Amino acid sequence: MSWLPCGVYHENYKQDHRWWQTKFVWGKMIFLFLFVYVLFPRFAGLYWIGVANIIGYTVLSALGVQLLIGYCGQITLGHAAFIAVGAYVCALSILMFHLPYVVSMIIAAFIAGLWSVLFGLPSAKVKGFYLIMTTMAAQFITVDFILTQYVSRIGGRGVAFSLPPGTIKIGPWVIDNDVEIYYLMVILVTLCTLALANLLRSRVGRAWIAIRDNDIAAEALGVNIVKYKLLAFFVAGVFGGVAGAFWVCNLAALSPEHFMWSWSLWLVGVILIGGVGSIHGVFFGSMFMVLVLEALKFAIAPLAPTFPQLQMKFLFLKEAAFGLAICLFLLYEPNGMAYRWWQIKNYFNLWPFSY
Amino acid sequence: MVEKGDEVILKVENLYKTFGGVAALTGVSFEVKRGEIFSIIGPNGAGKTVTLNCINGLYKPDRGKIYLNGKDITRLSPHRRAALGLARTFQKIELFSGMTVLDNIRLGMHIHLKSGIFSGSVYVGKTAREEIEARRFIEEEIIDLLEIEHIRNKITGMLPYGLQKRVELARALALKPEVILLDEPMAGLNLEEVEDMVRFILDVNEEKRWQVTCILVEHDMGVVMDISDRVMVLNFGEKIAEGPPSEIQNHPEVIKAYLGEVEELYVTRR
Repeated sequence: MSWLPCGVYHENYKQDHRWWQTKFVWGKMIFLFLFVYVLFPRFAGLYWIGVANIIGYTVLSALGVQLLIGYCGQITLGHAAFIAVGAYVCALSILMFHLPYVVSMIIAAFIAGLWSVLFGLPSAKVKGFYLIMTTMAAQFITVDFILTQYVSRIGGRGVAFSLPPGTIKIGPWVIDNDVEIYYLMVILVTLCTLALANLLRSRVGRAWIAIRDNDIAAEALGVNIVKYKLLAFFVAGVFGGVAGAFWVCNLAALSPEHFMWSWSLWLVGVILIGGVGSIHGVFFGSMFMVLVLEALKFAIAPLAPTFPQLQMKFLFLKEAAFGLAICLFLLYEPNGMAYRWWQIKNYFNLWPFSY
Repeated sequence: MVEKGDEVILKVENLYKTFGGVAALTGVSFEVKRGEIFSIIGPNGAGKTVTLNCINGLYKPDRGKIYLNGKDITRLSPHRRAALGLARTFQKIELFSGMTVLDNIRLGMHIHLKSGIFSGSVYVGKTAREEIEARRFIEEEIIDLLEIEHIRNKITGMLPYGLQKRVELARALALKPEVILLDEPMAGLNLEEVEDMVRFILDVNEEKRWQVTCILVEHDMGVVMDISDRVMVLNFGEKIAEGPPSEIQNHPEVIKAYLGEVEELYVTRR
């Protein structure tokens, strides 16, 4: 193995199928691993760890959206519903059945996947705008109707479930503060990203991309389109369920308000900004959205004495910034940040002889 | 030269298809024998592509039966037919434009691979081995045969037209088909590319390794007359002639269909 791809000759197919083929990439990945697992939690303050947790949650949530929109071409505007199902199933199975957190998370992911398949069924017949309508139906039926009207009233609890501190634990590991949540988050993000990346380079993922690019040709080549669309909905739902089950540990109380339609929209915005059809895009988009908002908070802090409305109406400012960011990206970088990243990498591949 | 047997591999019986008031196919029947190159020709709008789409399953015929290897496939969906060994290329290129050439061809191997969502997401052991086997087959049998080594990692959407046609053939071959439907594989190619494509089709048809039965829809009469074993002529959805190329060239109905009432022999080489 050498440092740079230039002059590397593979002797068998296994070498060519490897993720990381040069020492440089290995070094980069090891550094990233160290940074995420060791350096960041040790040296970053609690504030930044909290921000990182939000980024991680956004990444976990957006992975499923990226799968559906970016890789399978099934536009969804109701992904928060599946995240909500994951969160509620996880919380309920801990509270009512006293199951361990990991088991609850697996059950939650599975049920969210099935729930997603249920609302993915129309994708067998409809495409594009009509599918958007059915996924929006998923949002309103699940969150605004079932969860708000029925589930949140179980046991006369009113509108919110709260998990007593200390109930969320994996074996002896109690997850009850931001640092613990951070570790759980990076483990989940690593696992989910690896799973999705592996899927995309095997048979199932190729079938999804084929459906996105050309469903007629895919069907003529032996891809059972309905089955693979539903599989995409299932896997996206599972990622959503994992995201929801993860977020339970960061919420003092679980209520339908955490999973409103705007969160679904937000996730679509994340992948639009990050780059549709790219796993890098999910990360770039999540970081961008969360960090820009944090920056916005800092930016308006000195203005607050003169314009108190800015801080009071921060929610609206946030939405406006979000809309503006999407507009600007669609205008000036329609392929998202991942494409720009790819261009930069390509530039340095050839640097300094770019011919 | 391989023996072209008498065994019927694909049989189409009395096919009818209408689109609204337009009768695209009216009672077309034919048999294709194992190992032959069977061409379907006819003027524009004669129903050639409709025939292929019916065989392939993209259109449901109004009436009629289609048998592959003696099995009735009329009611099967396209992907089930593909699993039975029926591959096709398209008239307008229908590649997966966002994928690399290699991934396009890998997708053609879809029905021969087994990994599901769980084994695929872990990607160790069986899945990794299966991918390597698939890769070996693609590299050694298909990419080598079709001479597309230099573009294997390129995104197909960025390739020139001639190469895209070739990748489409490669993708269809990855299915390891028994019958391949070629919908105008030479359309829009220059002379050199046509010669290459003809060579590939003959290779695929005759090499021991492949021996694929080809059903060819083509407007390039020179090619059709040179490589076909038998030719069927359609006109306005009706079959007007079928037979070896020499016979078709002199068939009065065919000449009439192509030229109107002119008496001269025009259906000949370019």
